[in-house]
Amino acid sequence: MTAVSSRRPRDPRPRLRRSGFVTALPFLAPALAAYIVFVIAPMIESVRLSFFQWTGFIGAPQEFVGIDNYIHIFTQDAVFWTAFRNTVIWVVLSLIVPLGISLLLAVALNRPLLGRNVFRSMFYIPGVLASIAVANMWRWIYNPNYGIGVSLGELFGMPWLSDVQWLGDKNIALFSVFIAFIWQSVGTNMVLFLAGLQGVQAEHIEAARIDGANSWQVFRNVTLPALRPTMVVVTVLTFIGSIKVFDLIVGMTGGGPAQQTQVLALWSYQESLVNHQYGTGNAVATVLLVITLVIVVPYLVWIARREEK
Amino acid sequence: MSNTLRAIPSHVEPRRRARFGTHGRDYIRVGLWIALLISLALWTLPLVFIVFTSLKSEHDIVSSPVFSLPLNPEFGNYAEAIQGGNLFRVGTNSLVIALIKVPIGLLISAAAAFALARIKFRRSRLLLGAIALGAMVPIQVAIAPLFQIVNNAGLLNTYLGVILPYIGFGLPYQTFILYGFFRQIPEELDESARMDGASYWRLFWQIILPLSRPALAALFILDFVATWNEYGMALVLLQSQDSWTVPLAIQGFQSQFTSSYGPINAFTIMSVLPVLIVYLMFQRYFVSGAFAGSVKG
Repeated sequence: MTAVSSRRPRDPRPRLRRSGFVTALPFLAPALAAYIVFVIAPMIESVRLSFFQWTGFIGAPQEFVGIDNYIHIFTQDAVFWTAFRNTVIWVVLSLIVPLGISLLLAVALNRPLLGRNVFRSMFYIPGVLASIAVANMWRWIYNPNYGIGVSLGELFGMPWLSDVQWLGDKNIALFSVFIAFIWQSVGTNMVLFLAGLQGVQAEHIEAARIDGANSWQVFRNVTLPALRPTMVVVTVLTFIGSIKVFDLIVGMTGGGPAQQTQVLALWSYQESLVNHQYGTGNAVATVLLVITLVIVVPYLVWIARREEK
Repeated sequence: MSNTLRAIPSHVEPRRRARFGTHGRDYIRVGLWIALLISLALWTLPLVFIVFTSLKSEHDIVSSPVFSLPLNPEFGNYAEAIQGGNLFRVGTNSLVIALIKVPIGLLISAAAAFALARIKFRRSRLLLGAIALGAMVPIQVAIAPLFQIVNNAGLLNTYLGVILPYIGFGLPYQTFILYGFFRQIPEELDESARMDGASYWRLFWQIILPLSRPALAALFILDFVATWNEYGMALVLLQSQDSWTVPLAIQGFQSQFTSSYGPINAFTIMSVLPVLIVYLMFQRYFVSGAFAGSVKG
């Protein structure tokens, strides 16, 4: 490119750059307005309210209490720690079980196989259903009197199986709900992995095979490294999805039995809007916000760096 | 996909045989296929149970195992579910909300993404980051104050009162994705258009948007499904039964008719049908949407 031709198209630029934001504003304004009013403002208000005591009723006094709400949830509120523990368990399990299954499925369905597209579509279906619908389906499947456990117990002559209280036993309820989550989320992640597998160079695999690598070595040394960017994305999306788990818990246990399946998102909602403890409810929300930001901000920085390349 | 196959020297044999010619390989593949088939059967079972139960009479449900076939299909469950769950009313609510929210939200996001991707101004990257952040924060973090805002505006239990927050919470993700897509459109296009004296508005309407049709279509479908399925915000903002959307009605039906298992399952099935139909009709968009969103993000 000559000096002249590279300069000429840029001609209109300096003028634009001076008033760049003003030019951009009409395009940005509706989005910014909706974003600020309905996302940012409530979040800031949430943090502010976490330092107050308030019932949430209009006209009721808001009393500044400093960090008392945080002291309360950290030291006196047993439910908070149950919710915290369950949220951590949920996030960690989500990053292992459904991700592992989806990766396996994606690798299997990336091969040429009879009916491959049917397989892909069918595995994906639970992912498009409303979580609350999924919750209700599984609530029926787990029904202690007529559900699958009872039928299987009778079929195989294992009475203990009929007696399992899938959602009523505090030791297993969270994991029963989690099974529904696996069922729902595997297909979505599988599609993401399949998309990522398209980026794996066939030539690299061929080359590895010619060099005598077996299937596992090819997967370990060629496919997995090439999948790394997808892996990061799927991990972050799974984290975001799992830390806000709400619908499934509401629909299947409502946090019970005895708050044993409580999670942070649900506890925050219940404290504020059901128990009218806006102060502690928003303190829980703020804790959730901080945890999310700690994970998500580095991810965004990573994305931005990758963009620059 | 086809690239993988094309990279292999062409054979006259059918595609599937091209790569795994030897018999040993074939056995592995058959084994894999059977394993997949079994997994798929397991994966489909929950749906099958729901369909079976929805077709059984109260008596059959109590006296036969979940996986037994509904030999005397009881379609009355569906009629009862439509009646008791006020299905037409809540279906209309959901449809109106989705059909207003999705196009407006998409247009607003596209405009913002256009400004961020195509108009140079200081701190535009920071702004993009600030917007993208919103896609990653759980709604529950803001739900209580959001209730207050909507309540103070007198918009509780109204379409508008839920559409506006939906737009607010939906646009970070869409803006982020569309930003990525717009960046891939060669910038020379802008420059030549601007040399011809086109304004940014014309550039946006006549060049960028038409070129982005695949991304917009994918986002439209994905957002329609997401809006139809949304529960957490609706739970707080739509409290009167007449304003309920489908997910609220599913939960409401379940707690109102606790042990009418047949109608409950019939209601769940009818509630997911629209989304299933959309999915089956526009399947490729789900894949391309995921693709645009994640890997190229």
